[in-house]
Amino acid sequence: MVDKKIVKDVTNVIEGLGLNPNPETISILEDVGTNSKVDAIREMTARALVKKNMHDSLKIVITNKGKGINDMSTVVAMSTINELLSLDDKSEAMKILEDTVEMHSDEEVRDNARSVKALMALS
Amino acid sequence: MANLSIPSIRERLFNTSKHETTTQRNSNSTNPFAASSFKGNVLTADVFESSSKKADQPSFTGKLKASALVGSISGIGEKFQNMINSVVAFGNRMKENVVNGWNKLNNIEISFTPAKEKAVSMFNSMKDTLNTSVSDLISSGISVKSVSKMDDMAAARQLATDKIAQWEAAA
Repeated sequence: MVDKKIVKDVTNVIEGLGLNPNPETISILEDVGTNSKVDAIREMTARALVKKNMHDSLKIVITNKGKGINDMSTVVAMSTINELLSLDDKSEAMKILEDTVEMHSDEEVRDNARSVKALMALS
Repeated sequence: MANLSIPSIRERLFNTSKHETTTQRNSNSTNPFAASSFKGNVLTADVFESSSKKADQPSFTGKLKASALVGSISGIGEKFQNMINSVVAFGNRMKENVVNGWNKLNNIEISFTPAKEKAVSMFNSMKDTLNTSVSDLISSGISVKSVSKMDDMAAARQLATDKIAQWEAAA
């Protein structure tokens, strides 16, 4: 059982990095958060990256196999998709999804991007 | 015993002088009918009822009277039963009212229980929240606001790495 204080600290750090406008925070989140073995940490990190709504942050959760919408954990993938659907401005996300569907080398990533793109078009 | 045939009775009724003896009025007489009945003459025989008639017709003192008495008793019983029924109904109504009131009281008692539990739960959660926030402020001081305003990205990376490592170690 993880201590509540540790959970609270990690949550605050990830949310704080998500709100921090410095572009370097994206790489911190990618390196430390999206590669964590804990599903809850990967989920929080993916949501923080989506909330940034920047090209580089969205690209991490859309185009990388095993991260964001392509995560092995269904909870992480669905949570990321839900956060994408909640965006007020979906233009950047749609652009990255279109590029991924057309140009990505991995078929599974292309299929996931196509499905999310369809969902976002309907929402 | 006197002759009780119908002709003899008729003769006695209409020829009283022959069969009745005149009696002197006596002021000391205790007979209350002496002054009014047959002008002071006393009948020597019972002319109003014959023994044969008595045998044929039912007397009032017999079954009729008994049935009338029974009827009246049963009627009284019915009225009395109605009275009892109304009293019982009144009692039942009172009992229902009392039972309903008791149930309402019980419901009120039950409805207060969750509210009490909610209040206790709310108090405990508030206490936990206060404890957590105070300990955070004293020990680490890590908050969303402080991290979102960090300029030193190396320190931010180190902080994130350490905290996530702590979680992964505990998991």
